[in-house]
Amino acid sequence: MGGNQSVPKITKQDRAILDLKLQRDEVKKYQKKIQVVLDREHEVAKQQLAAGNKDRALVALRRRKYQEGLLAKTDGQLENLEQLVSTIEFSLVEVSILHGLQQGNAALKEIHKELNIENVERVLEETQEAREYQREIDEMLANSLTVEDEEAVQAELRELQIETLGVHDAERPIHLPSVPTEEPVSPIRKPGTELQSQEEQRVPVAA
Amino acid sequence: MSTTLAPYTLPSGFVLPSIHSGPPFFTQQPSPSSRKIATDNWTRLILSYARHQKLFVLRTEDADIPGGEWDDVLSNPRINRKIRAPHLAAVIAHMVATDQAVYDPPNQTSAVLLYWRTPEEWAQVLYDWASSTGHLNTIMTFYEIVEPPVPSPLSDLPLPILRKAIAVLAKSSRAQVIAVADGEGVRFLTAPPGR
Repeated sequence: MGGNQSVPKITKQDRAILDLKLQRDEVKKYQKKIQVVLDREHEVAKQQLAAGNKDRALVALRRRKYQEGLLAKTDGQLENLEQLVSTIEFSLVEVSILHGLQQGNAALKEIHKELNIENVERVLEETQEAREYQREIDEMLANSLTVEDEEAVQAELRELQIETLGVHDAERPIHLPSVPTEEPVSPIRKPGTELQSQEEQRVPVAA
Repeated sequence: MSTTLAPYTLPSGFVLPSIHSGPPFFTQQPSPSSRKIATDNWTRLILSYARHQKLFVLRTEDADIPGGEWDDVLSNPRINRKIRAPHLAAVIAHMVATDQAVYDPPNQTSAVLLYWRTPEEWAQVLYDWASSTGHLNTIMTFYEIVEPPVPSPLSDLPLPILRKAIAVLAKSSRAQVIAVADGEGVRFLTAPPGR
């Protein structure tokens, strides 16, 4: 019920198209009629010929020829009408394309209004300034720490690294096993005797 | 009675139900309950045959036309039986009473338009056809719809049914009727959202 507002208005063009199409239908109906007449005359001619009336058959065929001419003429008219309908419909499509282009153009202009070059330059400049300002603050803060403080901070960082990651800093002394100070105790034996002594050592133990 | 009830397939491929080979089917039954069953069967048979053959008009005199388009259904030469015109008129009256047909032209009771599709169903067929052939938003004449150069599901649809179907579409704003001095046309509209 409420959807009736969405129905588009019937414009003059709509009526013109409908008129043309109705005319076209009329021509089509007329063609159908002629086709029926053509078939009938053909039948008549055949019958007259069968009955031996050559003259009557000839008359029927002449009438048929005339109707055929009419049919050809209406074909031309039909073509004209259909072309006109197609042209109008195509023009309507073109109008709607133009309308679409205009809408798009307006939208683009609206967007460009927000996006003019001075604005972009200003924004970029401001960003640059803000970055420099941030850097200055960083420097100031870094410089405000004394050397001792800095060392303490570094030490704390190392502690944390060891604690959390188990990473040993390169500065920490590395404990390597020391080189043996004494001479090796057992003298070098021949390989055969060594095996033997090992076997001797393997004593079965009560379970 | 040695006649066996069996379905019969016509040359057109339409299968007549087994009841069609029973002689009592062709005489009006005196008992109301069996008459109702017979009438229901006739209704179903007529509508399914109409759908199969794309027939829209049924007249009471079709019962008396041998070799007519309804002959295969209204008579059965294999058992030498045919429906009588008054019986057919009663069946037709039942179909009109149950909205499965409508008298056309109105104010007479001998000819009906068969609703083997309801106007609502036709409306859907019409709209689907219009949208699938790209005819939305263009103006079309009624003649153009029912007599298309290439056959469509709507070929030869009687104008009264077409009008009803378009009225259904117009109610849901899917079509708009345009009238000029020489006749009428219709414009199919893209369906409003949410419908």
